[in-house]
Amino acid sequence: MRRRALTPRSDWQKRVEKIGLTYHTLADGTPYWDESAYWEFSTREIDRLEAATNEIQRLALAAGDVILNQDRLAQMGIPAAAHAAVRAAWNAEPPALYGRLDLAYDGDTIKLLEYNADTPTGLVEAAVAQWYWLQDCFPNSDQFNSTHERLLAKWKDLKDYTTSPVYFADGGSEEDRMTTAYLEDTAQQAGIKTLHIRMQQIGWDAKHAAFFDLDNHVIGTLFKLYPWEWLLSEPFGPQALSTLPPTSPLREYGPRKDRRTWGSTLWIEPIWKMIWSNKALLAILWELNTGHELLLPAYLDGPRELTTYVRKPFFGREGQGIAVIRDGNLIEGTPGSATADHCVCQALASMANDSGKTAVFGSWLIDGESAGMGIRESKGLITNNTSSFVPHLFR
Amino acid sequence: MRKPREVRLTILAAVALSMTSCRTQHRDCVDAQGHLQPDSACQAGGGTGGYHYVYGGSSGGHVGDYVLGGSTTPRGGFGGIGGDGGGDDSAGGE
Repeated sequence: MRRRALTPRSDWQKRVEKIGLTYHTLADGTPYWDESAYWEFSTREIDRLEAATNEIQRLALAAGDVILNQDRLAQMGIPAAAHAAVRAAWNAEPPALYGRLDLAYDGDTIKLLEYNADTPTGLVEAAVAQWYWLQDCFPNSDQFNSTHERLLAKWKDLKDYTTSPVYFADGGSEEDRMTTAYLEDTAQQAGIKTLHIRMQQIGWDAKHAAFFDLDNHVIGTLFKLYPWEWLLSEPFGPQALSTLPPTSPLREYGPRKDRRTWGSTLWIEPIWKMIWSNKALLAILWELNTGHELLLPAYLDGPRELTTYVRKPFFGREGQGIAVIRDGNLIEGTPGSATADHCVCQALASMANDSGKTAVFGSWLIDGESAGMGIRESKGLITNNTSSFVPHLFR
Repeated sequence: MRKPREVRLTILAAVALSMTSCRTQHRDCVDAQGHLQPDSACQAGGGTGGYHYVYGGSSGGHVGDYVLGGSTTPRGGFGGIGGDGGGDDSAGGE
């Protein structure tokens, strides 16, 4: 694999805006969507990334069972009030849509950095913008990107599970709004009626024990681009839990099942995603699969034998709270105690580095299967909300 | 070939053209008869004295005006965390 320089399309801003990437430039004027370069892969390299993604998904599924069987939700910092609901949802398998594994890949080894399973973004860039870029710049090349058609297929599957309309909610930031708009788009193309609502606009009606939209219609199905740990810590957190079904082991989800047993709101992503989107998962995966070629050593009780490692809070987002320690010294990120509660210490991976940029490979899963890739580049080792998105192709 | 033959877009393009299309909703503090009151009356009352919020109604904007329409369904119980530097917007994606 290699990073190649390229002259950007002369009107790239206009082109990407037209297809939903309105947040293409950072506040300091530097491009977030950076097509002054692209990453080129061989078919074999893409095959490896795809296989790695599916293998990690298999490991994550097995880890979920262990986490629940060993009653480790409290260790992961998941609030006690949510434990029964998480367990019930895991067992009942309500609809889930998507996720993104962040991988380190140096051309040789592939390692899991984290699993963004609850509220992944970067989807408009990976599924749409880089596909249009490929048509314009390299129409005869291929791209690791079946995200769009897989989303359409998944929504078609979900049509019989959902009430109508399906609501799409986000907190209102531009990137999140465009992500929900894109997902809404794919749902509509699959024949689902949709409505958008901001999280702040959702109302609670105690009489009906249900969430309501601005026109006082019940929100029966809600895709929320808003983390479960935030939902549960907010004033409507207890109400959110109350809309989940009772913890009966007999409940089943399916197109012809009795929906009245599912609770008043069908949440997408489901609450069990708190298990996978939690960085404690990284240490549990290592504990269960020590030495696995796709995993990095990671621990919940401090760095142990690691002298060079990354400390990550269980619930950090966009690089928040992450610290990189090399030979015992903080070299990047947030200072803090190496043994702080609710942190995982993970060995520092060997990363792709070119032109002074470190690349992280975001591998998308739709319906639990590998579906495509988006690449983020950073000047340092931590990917955050100023890391640029660089397109890719393979030949 | 892994890439799709076509990535067709409908509402994404429309939303991109109109980022301001989101409906916003304000709340008004009213008394038991539905007349507009200073916000402080609802905050100080804590639900007593008949003061309560109406969401999405309309009025002339002056204390004492009757607030038409709207709903008493409480809102705002989600969306208070996060923020991307742009007002009260929350960024929950990662």
